[in-house]
Amino acid sequence: MATVRLPSILAREAGGQRSFETDAATLAAALRALPIADLIFDSAGLRRLVNVYVDGRDARDDLDAPLARDAEVTVVAAVAGG
Amino acid sequence: MFFIRDGELTGPELTGWTVFHAVRDPRDGSLYAASNNWVYGGVVHRSTDDGATWTRSESIDAGGQELGEVWHVEPGHPSEPETLFLGAAPGLLLRSDDSGTTFCPVDGLVSHPTREQWMAGAGGMCTHSIQIDPGSPQRMFVAISAAGAFRTDDSGATWAPMNRNVNASFMPNPYPEVGQCVHKLLLHPARPERLWQQNHCGVYRSDDSGENWERLDGNGLPSEFGFPIMLDPSNPDVAYVIPEEGSENRVTSNGRLGVYRTTDAGASWELFADGLPAPAWTVVLREASSFDDAGPVFGTQSGSVWALDGAAWQELARELPPVLSVEVR
Repeated sequence: MATVRLPSILAREAGGQRSFETDAATLAAALRALPIADLIFDSAGLRRLVNVYVDGRDARDDLDAPLARDAEVTVVAAVAGG
Repeated sequence: MFFIRDGELTGPELTGWTVFHAVRDPRDGSLYAASNNWVYGGVVHRSTDDGATWTRSESIDAGGQELGEVWHVEPGHPSEPETLFLGAAPGLLLRSDDSGTTFCPVDGLVSHPTREQWMAGAGGMCTHSIQIDPGSPQRMFVAISAAGAFRTDDSGATWAPMNRNVNASFMPNPYPEVGQCVHKLLLHPARPERLWQQNHCGVYRSDDSGENWERLDGNGLPSEFGFPIMLDPSNPDVAYVIPEEGSENRVTSNGRLGVYRTTDAGASWELFADGLPAPAWTVVLREASSFDDAGPVFGTQSGSVWALDGAAWQELARELPPVLSVEVR
């Protein structure tokens, strides 16, 4: 199973759960299945200031790629400003 | 979100969210929050256990517009116990009929024929005031900055601009049909045909459900400009405002935290500031005041909360983050 890890504010909105296991076929499907999907997607797709990494690599522009069964997915809020 | 109960401060709840407005639903006691996050957008939170746990709205359909910040959440008429209205940017009014789980646009306003003439104010094109006539669920008022005030008499199907005699000095025509920069509009609960507004360009009262407005800031107020307005629910002639220097210098007037009160429906105003700090240059935002049977309460952008105790103001809390919304329930 692949694992999806959330930042703290999203984990609170997901009932306190910070990590989710998934057998979704693609990264997009894994993210859409999260209980906080409405917070990371808008009508245009992944929100502008949300970044996603798969095994440490930026996957923001590769959401439809197949998701390996042992993948580690991390959702990160983009940092703007100081 | 913080709570002050019997003088004790608790919280924060909803950490990480910027709560533009929160309200207790008088129909069932639920708490609602119009919550924003700069990464994750705007949502509505609901608590049915006095703030211990919260659920989030599942979908907000902005009717083809890109949803901006959510500004104001208003419980519906008691005859519609699961109905809720949400004001949002850009110039959106949304309706929920499932206690805030899902929201759909009120098309009659969102697609209003004057929409092309609406402009964004300094805070975006925000729908910040939603008032429902307690005697008639079909009649409702909204105000948008800077589109002006609107009224529906048919549950939101059609909306008429309600801006007659309301100045928009920043426009080529200073008395347009729409485009006024209302900062806060309130309906008096015991006399619902009486409305008040603090505008970018003056303080106004209407005694005919918004058909005509009378300007009230010529007698005793230091400035035409401000955001909050507080109405005494027990006396329709009593109101409080907190003027600022002006649109280009958004701090409280005359270097002090000055509340001004009228007891004659706006014919005259007096400084009513015993206990408030001077000198002070602070800001009271449009949702950061409330008035119920216990009296008026407001909060400042510098993190203090003030309540009227007898004839003097008392500081209930200080060193909070900027106070965006105050509700007394």
